[in-house]
Amino acid sequence: MLPVILAVLGALFLLAPILVVVPMSFSTAISFAFPPPGYWLGYYAKYFTSEEWLEPTLNSLVIAFGAMTLTMLLVVPAAFGYVRYRFRGKTLVNLLIMAPLIVPHVVSALAYYGFLGRAKLTGTLLGVMVAHGMLAVPVAFLVISATLKGFDQNLERAAMSSGAGPFRTFVHVTLPVLRPGMLVGALFAFLSSFNEAVVSIFIGGRGAVTLPKKMYESIRLESDPVIAVVSTLLVSAVVLGVLIAMSLRRRSTHAA
Amino acid sequence: MAGELSGAALRRETAVRGASRHATAWLLLAPSCLALVLLFVVPIAYVLLLSVTDPRLSVAHYQRIFTVPVYTRVMVNTFVTSLIVTALCLVIGYPLAYVMARRAGWVSTLLLTVVAMSFWTGFLVRTYAWLVILGSKGPVAAAYGALGLGPAPQLLFSTFSSTLGMTHILLPYMVLALYAAMKKIDANHLKAAASLGARPAAAFREVFLPLSLPGVVNGSLLVFVTCLGFFVTPVLLGTPRDMMISQLINQQIEELLAFGFASAVAVVLLIATCAVLAIYNHYAGLDRLWG
Repeated sequence: MLPVILAVLGALFLLAPILVVVPMSFSTAISFAFPPPGYWLGYYAKYFTSEEWLEPTLNSLVIAFGAMTLTMLLVVPAAFGYVRYRFRGKTLVNLLIMAPLIVPHVVSALAYYGFLGRAKLTGTLLGVMVAHGMLAVPVAFLVISATLKGFDQNLERAAMSSGAGPFRTFVHVTLPVLRPGMLVGALFAFLSSFNEAVVSIFIGGRGAVTLPKKMYESIRLESDPVIAVVSTLLVSAVVLGVLIAMSLRRRSTHAA
Repeated sequence: MAGELSGAALRRETAVRGASRHATAWLLLAPSCLALVLLFVVPIAYVLLLSVTDPRLSVAHYQRIFTVPVYTRVMVNTFVTSLIVTALCLVIGYPLAYVMARRAGWVSTLLLTVVAMSFWTGFLVRTYAWLVILGSKGPVAAAYGALGLGPAPQLLFSTFSSTLGMTHILLPYMVLALYAAMKKIDANHLKAAASLGARPAAAFREVFLPLSLPGVVNGSLLVFVTCLGFFVTPVLLGTPRDMMISQLINQQIEELLAFGFASAVAVVLLIATCAVLAIYNHYAGLDRLWG
């Protein structure tokens, strides 16, 4: 029984602080007072009407989408090349692909600050997109190469021997089987960019303020209560996402 | 002779196909490798360069880091804080992962849901939550008042708050690493131990615990390494008096515009991280960490 009690306490430690942001978002207080002195929806109205918060939200979505696209364009062919072929220097290639995961984000952030600053790309959506795209490579690669390793190549051989060309085989056999893995890889890349804070803080400047950067600045400089609204919306999105993922997983394990 | 000829032809054909297969592999890998070299390795190399050339060619920055007490303290503090956070994550995370892995049904599903939720919730949301909880108008301060303990001590902007925040944020990583290792442990080992007369506590200590050690090592490494370079939480919850490396980098850039020195600090952080990973790689192989 003791392990269960300890586990539940651990889970409460994880959960309770996150849930605190929900009542905070309805609070009338102008600072971070908890429990709230009163409740209203005023800060929700402020979030949905103020440019100051909507723009970073939009920026984050655009950057995450761009970074995800860039990452997928690089990672999908790379995973095929890496998993299906043997070649010299494979260890080195693996190290290169994993490098953005190994290097601490604050070091990468400093690097992009200097490098993109030289290229006049700090403070632009493109700059942050490229940096996030690189940082998302390892995660997407891990997911997609794992899917590819589990792929039974006999399916392709069967298609080829039945007369399908390499292209038709790829489109009608390989891709459909790999689609779930690819989608998960893309989702991870998207979220890796959407949640990324350090690089955005360093290189976002005034022109490419992402949501985490805006939250960081609002905590540091002004204590804007709208941050509770944003946090609550983000937590709700995560809860929804996790519940959907769990129910999908349950359905697939039941089917199997 | 005919056989020999066809053998040679076959060999030639495989050699040609082998070469073209090589070319295909490199064609597929070229875009990502090129992009990573140009848009990741080169920027990092630029940091290395700046650390010894800005404002002039010298290794003075590195000498300062390792001789000026203020900076050596930052290094030691980062190391010690990371160790404490790792230990806390392990202590809190182990029973959580244990129950998730060993229990079937709704308890483990519920715990897994909680862990996944906190894993995907952004660092800033969770750091903000701690600002509310530990703040002077927060629930902890209110509890102090309600219990008649007088005014609450200053909890925020201290080593305590930043350690607590980082533990909270990194705990899911630890739990998932432990869970992955524990899930692989064959339940029959424990049944065998029990049938041989081992009590549950002994079976746990002699069988389960040793088999879960790979997860302990993986999780600890992940948490420790992330903690070394952790930025957002120490900056927002910590204190400049007990700085961590990332706070020092931020301060050097934001307040002093000292790129050369900030770069040198970053390089030290990078080397420390790589050293820890290299030790792990030597004993276990990095593939196990990603896998």
